[in-house]
Amino acid sequence: MSSFDYHEPTSIAEATALLARYGTDAVAMAGGVDLTRKFKSGGRRPGHVIALRRLPGLADVRTDGDGLWLGPLATHAALERSPAVRAHHPALRAAFTSIATIRIRNQGTLGGNLASAEAASDPPPVLMIFDAIVQVARPDGTQRSIGLDAFFVGEHRSVLEPAELIVGIRVPPVAAGTRATYARFNPGSADDYPTVSVAAALRVDAEGRIAVARVAVGAIGDLPVRAHSVETALVGQLPTDATLTEAAALARNGIEAIADRRGSVSYKREMARVWTRRALTTAATPMAAA
Amino acid sequence: MTTLIETPEYRIEGRDKVTGVASFVGDFQDEGMLEACFLRSPHPHALIRSIDIRAARTMPGVRAVLTGADIRPMRHGRRLQDWPLLAWDRVRLIGDRVAVVAADTLSHARAAVERIRVEYELLPAVLDPADALARDAPVLHPDAGEYHYFGERPEHRHPNIQGHAVHEHGLVDAAFARATRVFQHEFRLARVFQGHLEPHTCIVRTDGTGYHVTTTNKSPFRLRTLMATSLGIAPEMITIDSGYIGGDFGGKGFSIDDYVIAFLARATTRPVRFATPYTDDMQSGNSRHATHIRMRTGVDDANRFIAHESTILYDGGAYAAGKGNANLIPGGGLFTMIGYDIPNVRVDATSVYTNTLPGGHARAPGQPQNSFASESHVDLIARELNIDPFELRRINVISDGGHDTLGRTWKLSTIPAVMDALRREAGLDVARQPGRGRGVSIGARASPSGHGGADLQAKVVVSVTDDSMVEVLTAVSDQGGGAHTVLQRVVADELGIDVARVRIRRGTTSHAPFDLGVGGGRVTPVVGGAAQAGAALLRERLEAMAPGLEVREQLERVAGDLSVVGEFTHEPGLYSTYAYAVEVEVDRETGQVCVTDAVFVADVGTAINPVALHGQLVGGFAFGLGQALFEDLRIEQGVVTTANLDNYKLPSMADVPKLRVVLLPDSVGGGPHGAKSAGELANVSIAAAIANAVHDAVGVRVTSLPITAEKVFDALAGGADS
Repeated sequence: MSSFDYHEPTSIAEATALLARYGTDAVAMAGGVDLTRKFKSGGRRPGHVIALRRLPGLADVRTDGDGLWLGPLATHAALERSPAVRAHHPALRAAFTSIATIRIRNQGTLGGNLASAEAASDPPPVLMIFDAIVQVARPDGTQRSIGLDAFFVGEHRSVLEPAELIVGIRVPPVAAGTRATYARFNPGSADDYPTVSVAAALRVDAEGRIAVARVAVGAIGDLPVRAHSVETALVGQLPTDATLTEAAALARNGIEAIADRRGSVSYKREMARVWTRRALTTAATPMAAA
Repeated sequence: MTTLIETPEYRIEGRDKVTGVASFVGDFQDEGMLEACFLRSPHPHALIRSIDIRAARTMPGVRAVLTGADIRPMRHGRRLQDWPLLAWDRVRLIGDRVAVVAADTLSHARAAVERIRVEYELLPAVLDPADALARDAPVLHPDAGEYHYFGERPEHRHPNIQGHAVHEHGLVDAAFARATRVFQHEFRLARVFQGHLEPHTCIVRTDGTGYHVTTTNKSPFRLRTLMATSLGIAPEMITIDSGYIGGDFGGKGFSIDDYVIAFLARATTRPVRFATPYTDDMQSGNSRHATHIRMRTGVDDANRFIAHESTILYDGGAYAAGKGNANLIPGGGLFTMIGYDIPNVRVDATSVYTNTLPGGHARAPGQPQNSFASESHVDLIARELNIDPFELRRINVISDGGHDTLGRTWKLSTIPAVMDALRREAGLDVARQPGRGRGVSIGARASPSGHGGADLQAKVVVSVTDDSMVEVLTAVSDQGGGAHTVLQRVVADELGIDVARVRIRRGTTSHAPFDLGVGGGRVTPVVGGAAQAGAALLRERLEAMAPGLEVREQLERVAGDLSVVGEFTHEPGLYSTYAYAVEVEVDRETGQVCVTDAVFVADVGTAINPVALHGQLVGGFAFGLGQALFEDLRIEQGVVTTANLDNYKLPSMADVPKLRVVLLPDSVGGGPHGAKSAGELANVSIAAAIANAVHDAVGVRVTSLPITAEKVFDALAGGADS
């Protein structure tokens, strides 16, 4: 392994300053899961690793007046066990219980996960249906907020700039009566990435019509995306089998798919349709709405 | 006299492995040891125009840089020596070794490798085995005439043929002509990786004359012979030391790089280590052959198989070096329709060169391919005949005194008994649950798999030590299969002493008596037989030297003074037999297959290590399940696109459904106390059982491995075979 300088800043300002100083020769390290994998696979190695482990408060998980706040250094295992996460919405917990293996969940962090922008990862679709917002610190001391549905731009690419650091993930309060679910289709090995993943949230109004619909699809293409066409088709409708099935069919062609070892383009599209319908059906069924 | 079965089992090496005390080749750190790194070909097929190593030589920490020019014309191989230690004029696969650097650290070695410049002239690559035999196909080995072959190599009709073999008995064409019905099917299997977690690793030390090699090779004496040939020195000048091996699954009987590392040790007079990067093991190692099989079977009006023909094409990859058989076909490669008695059979198998990774030995070489094809074929025949697949098998299996498809006579056949036990244990007479499918498969493997010679012979030294312990000296290393615990238990039992009084000493090729090593299921029946014979002889000598005393007292009396050689020759022609019944659920909308229940009945003779035996069988099930459902070394333009364990998924515990193992009682094998081989059974026929169950559940047939959800989905959508 070639050498690099290892930095352990103790404040966000110091961390972003280091990132700014070394530019593309620096990389921020949270749990290090993605980073060590990249190191091992032998690509270009940065000269500076900025370890975030000493930054205070960044592993915090709390509920406040604006909803749920998730610290970027919180591990998947911590989030999976967090009463605040479960209390916010039971379906949110599924984002973290589904990830890989217990070893990865104990080491990997939410911030690292989002920054690595892995299309098949579990948290993004679930966080997307809950309208999560990524809070980012910049070297000039300012911060900006990015809606998670605008955060990913391509394969392992996000809008995050080199000197920017994720400092928190805000999940706004969930309106009462919102039912949500996460469906993960993984016909290969249990600890493989899914072939397709679908998160769906529905809320019906007093007349039983769908007032709010959120559908996000992961794994089939370069990045996790909101299925806006499906959502639009649902709003104002009664959640009948026919409506859900018809809306889910829009997931087949509305999303860019890529062929890989987990499936061809046509198969992934079909599975996006099937699993969107299944997720919507679960979300529309009160008994199964956990 | 045997209380073996009732004695609790403790794995001899278990504590050391669990506590991390056990040292593997990657753990050793010699004073002044260098690390090696290879420059590998980025092209599947090319001529080497020039190699410039000047810049690499002057890099910091570099002690030696070797290219093919330094070693030519040295090639290696178990039977046919067709793999250059380092390519000098031509590369034949992505990952082929072109140059090697020894440096103070791996980082130094890697940095130097990056500075080596090679000019290639690209050649058209042969990537599909069917293309290899085209009249105008590029020839991979134009110099094959000068290759060394142990024995006399037959002529082949095409230069891209590695090996070709035909077995024929009876009057095949006439039998087909009189068959009531003839059935024909075609099957394809992906290339799969052995999945040993420890990569091939070696350390070579030399003082300029002798060589000491610490290696992950499980056949140390064979490696010694091959290395002596490569280095051009007497075998006695080489010591091969195979200690703990971190997983094998058939992949550790073959060394690819130990020879070159010996040249590096010679060039530097320093110890040199090479640990194969994992992705290189997967891109350019010795995986299981991808295979294409066509089968034809003729049936008479009593539903008896009267004629069978198989045509098999093995993708041998760039080199045949990994195959040990004289015909350069994987070991079980001609043995189709295992377990059936068919009077007229023709099997034609060919292995061909392609510009992809070489095929080698993997757990039961050749058998999973033939089993998937045969047991799917039989099931399809039953469906077309509209009779129960179990019944069709039962009608056609070998009974005592019958013959198998290689024409060998089975004095005893336990297949009918195994099938009857399966029927009972799996409740085959009870209707399956609605919505589920049930599939059956059978199989057999010679126990052990050799048919004569060193395969079936073993020798160990049994001694009484100064501290009155009984010590067994063997060349057999324990690669995880539990070899040493078997030997300990057999010897303790024979002498009637506690297992704690028996030590197993694994010796290098300079200390232990000759042994062919681990493989082909020979350790328990053959080496175990030698240990038992040695213990029996020791008991006789003890009685002669100190008559009338308890064994314990005898050992104290003769402490340090007695040593005998235990020898054993196993009789050929015995078989371990087995059968699976599995139940699956298939999601019709997605094609996903879920194995909900599995029963495995086996005849493995007497269990010497019941816990380890169970582990072998359940482990084999998991091993075969992964290869049945998702494992696939996918190759695109010569590149293995799944060359790491991120992308090539091995089954985890979460993937393995509960397997119920039922052992056939009262069976007697040829090993100690009637033990038989058990390591290469449960992985072989699980894939066909699943394919058969899928067909039963949803009416479509998948004729290729792995049986992915997408293939089932496509078959359901189109009704076509996939």
